[in-house]
Amino acid sequence: MATKKEKPASAPTSGAAGTDAQAPPPEQVFATELAFLAAYDSGPRPRGFRLTPSAIVTFVMGSSGRVLKLEKPVQGAPSELEIRAKFIGERGVVERAVITLAGERGLLLAGDPGTAKSMLSELLAAAISGSSQLTVQGTAGTTEEQLKYGWNYATLLAHGPSKSAIVASPVLQAMRRGAVVRIEEITRCLPEVQDALVSILSDRRLAIPELAGLGDGGDAAGSGEHVEYARPGFAVIATANLRDRGVSEMSAALKRRFNFETIPSIADPREEAKLVREKAEASLERVGQPMRVDDAVIDAVVTAFRDLRLGKSAEGWGVERPSSVMSTAEAVAVTTSIAMQATYFAKDRDPLTLVPGYLLGVVLKDEPKDRSRLLAYWDGSVKRRADAKSRVWQTLLELRSILEEA
Amino acid sequence: MTLDSGPRAALERLVGSTAPLLLGVRHHSPAVSSIVEATLDSFAPTHVLVELPEELGEWLPWVGHADAVAPLALAATVDQEAGSLAFYPFADFSPELMAIRWAVRRGVKIEAFDLPVGARTRSREEAPHHHDSQRESLMEVLTKQAGADGFEELWDRLVEARAFGQEPEAIRGAALLLGWTLRVDAALAGTTAALDLAREAHMRARLDAALAIPDARVVAVVGSFHAAALLEPRETSPAKAAASSRKVTTALLPYSFPLLDSRSGYPAGIRDPAWQQRVVDALALRVPIDEQAAEAITLVSRAVRASRHAASFPDAREAARLAMDLARLRGLTTPSRRELLEGIEAAMCQGEVLGRGRVVARALSEVMIGDRRGVLADGTPRSGLAPHVEALFRELGFPGPGDTKTKEMSLDALRSSLDRRREIALERLVAADIVFAERIASGPTAGGIDALGSKWSLHWSPSTAATIELASLFGATLIDAAGGKLRDTRARALEKGTRVALVELDTMEAAARSGIANLVIEGSARLSGGSLADARFADLVRAQTLVGRIGAGHFAALPASDDDAVPEAPVFQADLSGAERAVAEALVASLDGVSGSIDVADAIALRELTDAPARAGLGEGRLHHAIARLAREGSPLMRGAGAVLVFFVGVDLGRLQASLTSLLDAPVEGGADRAAWMRGALSVGMPALEAEPAFVNGIVEAIASWPDDGFLGRLPSLREGFDVISPRARTRLLRVLLASIEGDGASESDAVLAATPEEMAAFAAADLAARAALLALGLSLPELPPSPAEPHRELAPKVAEALGPHAISIRDRLRLVLGREREKLVGVAGRASVVLDRLYGRGEGEGANDPGEGGGTDSAFPSVRLWSEEISTLFGDRVREEILGRAAERGTPGAALELDPSSVRPSVELLEQILSLKGGLSEGDLGKLRALVRSIVEALVAELATRVRPALTGLVSPRATPRGKGPIDLRRTIQKNLGTARRREGVMRLAPERMVFRERQKRSLDWHVVLVVDVSGSMEPSVIYSALMAAILSGMPALTVKFLAFNERVVDLSEHAGDPLALLLEIAIGGGTLIGQALAYARSLVTVPSRTLLCVVSDFEDAGPSGLLLGEVRALVEGGVKALGLAALDDHGAPRFARGVAEGIAAAGMPVAALSPLELARWIGEQIR
Repeated sequence: MATKKEKPASAPTSGAAGTDAQAPPPEQVFATELAFLAAYDSGPRPRGFRLTPSAIVTFVMGSSGRVLKLEKPVQGAPSELEIRAKFIGERGVVERAVITLAGERGLLLAGDPGTAKSMLSELLAAAISGSSQLTVQGTAGTTEEQLKYGWNYATLLAHGPSKSAIVASPVLQAMRRGAVVRIEEITRCLPEVQDALVSILSDRRLAIPELAGLGDGGDAAGSGEHVEYARPGFAVIATANLRDRGVSEMSAALKRRFNFETIPSIADPREEAKLVREKAEASLERVGQPMRVDDAVIDAVVTAFRDLRLGKSAEGWGVERPSSVMSTAEAVAVTTSIAMQATYFAKDRDPLTLVPGYLLGVVLKDEPKDRSRLLAYWDGSVKRRADAKSRVWQTLLELRSILEEA
Repeated sequence: MTLDSGPRAALERLVGSTAPLLLGVRHHSPAVSSIVEATLDSFAPTHVLVELPEELGEWLPWVGHADAVAPLALAATVDQEAGSLAFYPFADFSPELMAIRWAVRRGVKIEAFDLPVGARTRSREEAPHHHDSQRESLMEVLTKQAGADGFEELWDRLVEARAFGQEPEAIRGAALLLGWTLRVDAALAGTTAALDLAREAHMRARLDAALAIPDARVVAVVGSFHAAALLEPRETSPAKAAASSRKVTTALLPYSFPLLDSRSGYPAGIRDPAWQQRVVDALALRVPIDEQAAEAITLVSRAVRASRHAASFPDAREAARLAMDLARLRGLTTPSRRELLEGIEAAMCQGEVLGRGRVVARALSEVMIGDRRGVLADGTPRSGLAPHVEALFRELGFPGPGDTKTKEMSLDALRSSLDRRREIALERLVAADIVFAERIASGPTAGGIDALGSKWSLHWSPSTAATIELASLFGATLIDAAGGKLRDTRARALEKGTRVALVELDTMEAAARSGIANLVIEGSARLSGGSLADARFADLVRAQTLVGRIGAGHFAALPASDDDAVPEAPVFQADLSGAERAVAEALVASLDGVSGSIDVADAIALRELTDAPARAGLGEGRLHHAIARLAREGSPLMRGAGAVLVFFVGVDLGRLQASLTSLLDAPVEGGADRAAWMRGALSVGMPALEAEPAFVNGIVEAIASWPDDGFLGRLPSLREGFDVISPRARTRLLRVLLASIEGDGASESDAVLAATPEEMAAFAAADLAARAALLALGLSLPELPPSPAEPHRELAPKVAEALGPHAISIRDRLRLVLGREREKLVGVAGRASVVLDRLYGRGEGEGANDPGEGGGTDSAFPSVRLWSEEISTLFGDRVREEILGRAAERGTPGAALELDPSSVRPSVELLEQILSLKGGLSEGDLGKLRALVRSIVEALVAELATRVRPALTGLVSPRATPRGKGPIDLRRTIQKNLGTARRREGVMRLAPERMVFRERQKRSLDWHVVLVVDVSGSMEPSVIYSALMAAILSGMPALTVKFLAFNERVVDLSEHAGDPLALLLEIAIGGGTLIGQALAYARSLVTVPSRTLLCVVSDFEDAGPSGLLLGEVRALVEGGVKALGLAALDDHGAPRFARGVAEGIAAAGMPVAALSPLELARWIGEQIR
């Protein structure tokens, strides 16, 4: 799970160059929408923001089917446009996120893996500052330099410490530009490294003691210190994974500088199934293949994922939760794999028969007990559904042997 | 037609109506409340009609009385009908109350005009809900547009949040329009309940009557949902006002904010009454709500600080800013409750649902719910519970006011319906917390079966009257008061953080006793809805019994058939299969949690378990899997139980015999395990096993096959194992076992001789005694001749062979093992029997007091020393230790002192037994014991250390850092790269290839290990291992060890951490478990969190509030401490723990595992290296 990062998989709405990238950034994918919204909502916007808060919310949540019209035409934007929903979830979450950032406060998106935290942060960054590229990926090896600044040693040695010898981190670049910087998986960084952000978030400036006394314009009130100030629009969006165990957690000082938003899993099973289908279709589209998996299979996958994630079946029966993560993103991956397999191999095989095997692959990661939990799910909920004469579940029940230990 | 016109036309008609003037309200609405007075003033009505059942009309003057202080509540109940309660709480933000007050003050006629409660049909079912997915309802459109989540929030959005600065008419219009929308949706979907239609017809009839009075100006204060219906065309024949023959009790009660909060579980409430009060006050005074919000946020942050969590001015300011900016983003002028909560959550909870989240939630409930109480005006007629209870007491013949003598009553609820009614009433009094009746315990009953009758002591005291007044807060009849009190108790317990499963079971059991059917049904729904998540094994067994008893109609108050029904308790019919199933599922899932149990009660509980899943229709595969694992991996006790269960569920018939034989034939040394295995197997398997040839033959064959010394070596452990069943059951088993030998054609071998059995026995005894005496002198003797061979069928060869070289016959062996028919034992067997009887006595349970079974007297051995010597002679030294250890455990203090420190074989089990003694010994004896413990501990430490140390070596080697983390070391970089120096244009340039960085100052290598050890009673082996590990870890150079022992208290034994002897002698086992408190103390010891390892050794049967425990775990983990929960720390690695709590802890960031000392050492090694 360390390297998962989904990109919005919707079809590009602009023909901008570079869309043959595997995953173009959202500001490229949605360039038209962004330009339109900037023209559409001309209300007051927070300092350094490209869009108004309500336009940002509309950009993320979509215009719920309405076609928005411009009052007067604007160069480079269509006169009317329906904004597509990009984030499935509670509107309030997005509203709070936008308001948090508008108040020049750090935003921390927490949640289980696969709840589209990173996607949401990309969308917000694209809408607020027109770029989602300023990113620091947090790992145990992330150093303070990646959050503050490093040195170009060759220049440093040749010319001594100077502003041009500084290698600005994405954070420093964002401060200079007045843009949003995203810090992925902040909790994986060591606490002392994370704490580099404390003063940046509270003081909105970064002192570079090595440049003290150079008099190149960054002096703080003649103290001889060199200070970089954040320009309006600078904001930090961090994401944190609640299921990562053994990560160094954040210090209290840093926490107090963030507002926390916990992103829940998708509440509505229909929405989730729809999303899974769309994503799987999109990834098959990229290889130019039609989707060969019918809705019943997707429903079964999504239902199983939800049951195991929530510890409770759709009918309200108890389910033992496995220790592994059963995220929507994993459901997408499983569906895509099943679709791929149905496309490339074994065309005569019913995709449904592939479900138990892939499910086991997701569930059985590091705890052997998870296998018996999955078996318990089969003996409980799956069996009951099969007893209720559900064809799909009857087939799945017959495949129970796949789950058993060889 | 108001219902089928468009919104605009409808609005005009609704707002414009003057006959009547419509005041569409929601039961609690600060916005609408604030306009009532102005609206009524300007309309100047002559009649005010309020949507309340007619029966309540008589109370309205008292409700609106100038001296009465809200909150108040009106209640109406159809007598003896559970669930018929109509309940109307009023607060200052209730529009109805404002209207009533206005009318009373002005002397305007006010009437309750809703359908009488007595005329409402019993059926409360809603019309079937046709969800028309094709058509989006108006409400869905509105909700989506407003970004609201359901009607409540939509109302907040559209009515409440926009109220400030609005004209009264605009607010009235918004409320009416929203009600109309809801109503149109319901009408189109056909979901309007029949009851609603009947009520509206009644209200229309009453309204017409009022309008018919000349010059009447009528205001109708109705729920906005019903408003439009009042303008509907009238039926040609006016609906006849439904008359009611049923008796209705009404009451006016003082009420309170905590009950008014909708989360209290009490009906017709509203979220956060104190906040609503603020809003209504602000609206009345025309103060901006912003200020109220800011004040509320400040109070919350103060309350958070008061519970010693950081919440400073910036946090509060950010919360307020968020709330206000969110309101603006959503197009509101002022923040509503939702924005307030969102602001507080985002800025103060810091993403911690468990730790800080709970603290903030508690603070919120303090500030937002409040504790205001209502007061009735002087002179308000007495109503509600007191008159009702007094009448009931007269009817049932209980002593009432004026009769203060204590009366005892024996009730036989199964025979007499009067007694049944009495019992139900008494249970309800108890449930309602009314001080009157006390159940007199009827003594222990066999097998947990309820005694048939019950005995009560009844006493009317002043506190009875006082507690009735208190209980009247919860309802006007006894059943309502009891139900309300139970709900309240439940809500309070949950808020305090008591384990959910425990709370639900307590509530459900009390509800079942007092026959509150809807609460029982709710409880069973909650059981299947996940409230068992934190249940312990014992809770689950209790849940199973409870649900079973309810289903079987064992509760007098929940009769299963008409014959048993009484007016107070109609026949109880409910589908409990969901709960049954949930309990069964949870039971199966919790089997892992008892796999390490050493408690026979857990094994007995397993017996109940096997048929539960089948009854609940659960797939059996899972159960078999779990049981098989139990039989494979559990503690010896649980392995025994599991083996029998495997056999019972029919997985493998042969396996039981195989495990039995292998266990019995195991080396003599495995005595403790063998005993535990037998105890587990027998406590689950008796009496069913008596009939199983596999079992019976297994025992007989095994016992017959050993030579004498093998048998005697195993005898104590077998006797210990069989001691778990009652003497009478052992007698039965002995007969079965003997019969299995005789039934095969072999009669008592001595019966063929021409002598009486008594004589023969005497001869044989004399012979054998002589032989034993000679043997004891060390003389070698020829083998005994084979005993006269009788033809044995089936068993014959083996038994015959066994009887051959063996001095103790198979029959005597069986008698010895079972501790029965002692009088038939002579010689060695007799002596062995006497020795063991000294230990096991008469046994416990059925038949323990039977006359004629001798033994169990201490007199045979005047001193422990003599006894000890006899044990040694009979069984050998190895077994002696075991027996003495067991004796020590069973409370024979002298026994341990007989053990010789120099020759004793050190084992954790022995140490455990000896340590259990230390409380009851004199100082002198303790000295001897100390020497013994020292030698055992030293031996154990040495043994453990050799295993553990390798895992910890290398702790001092510094960590290699692959990348430069510090500032660059220019001097050394230049030095290293001088080879690349080139002079260009007169300047020396260097192109460095390899950088050298200044390493940060070396980390100090001191790590702190905090062992937090539960000494509450069920953890002894783990405690011992903890102490041993503490000693070993203390010996490592890079570690500082702290040792905390806790039960309800925490004792810091860190100064003894290096001295296991002192540690073990200091620890007193016993008491309850409060882990949270221990962790709180441990946290105060942590100086360098990132270099601290914390191990909690506990069974996690935490008795404290779960909020505290989880909060502490979070705080520790978030502080950077590496924490590990150990469900067991011993060489078996079989855990016994409360699964739910452990999972909660694990989710909070402290993994829980059962580890052996070696694995623990490896973990520590990994963390440090």
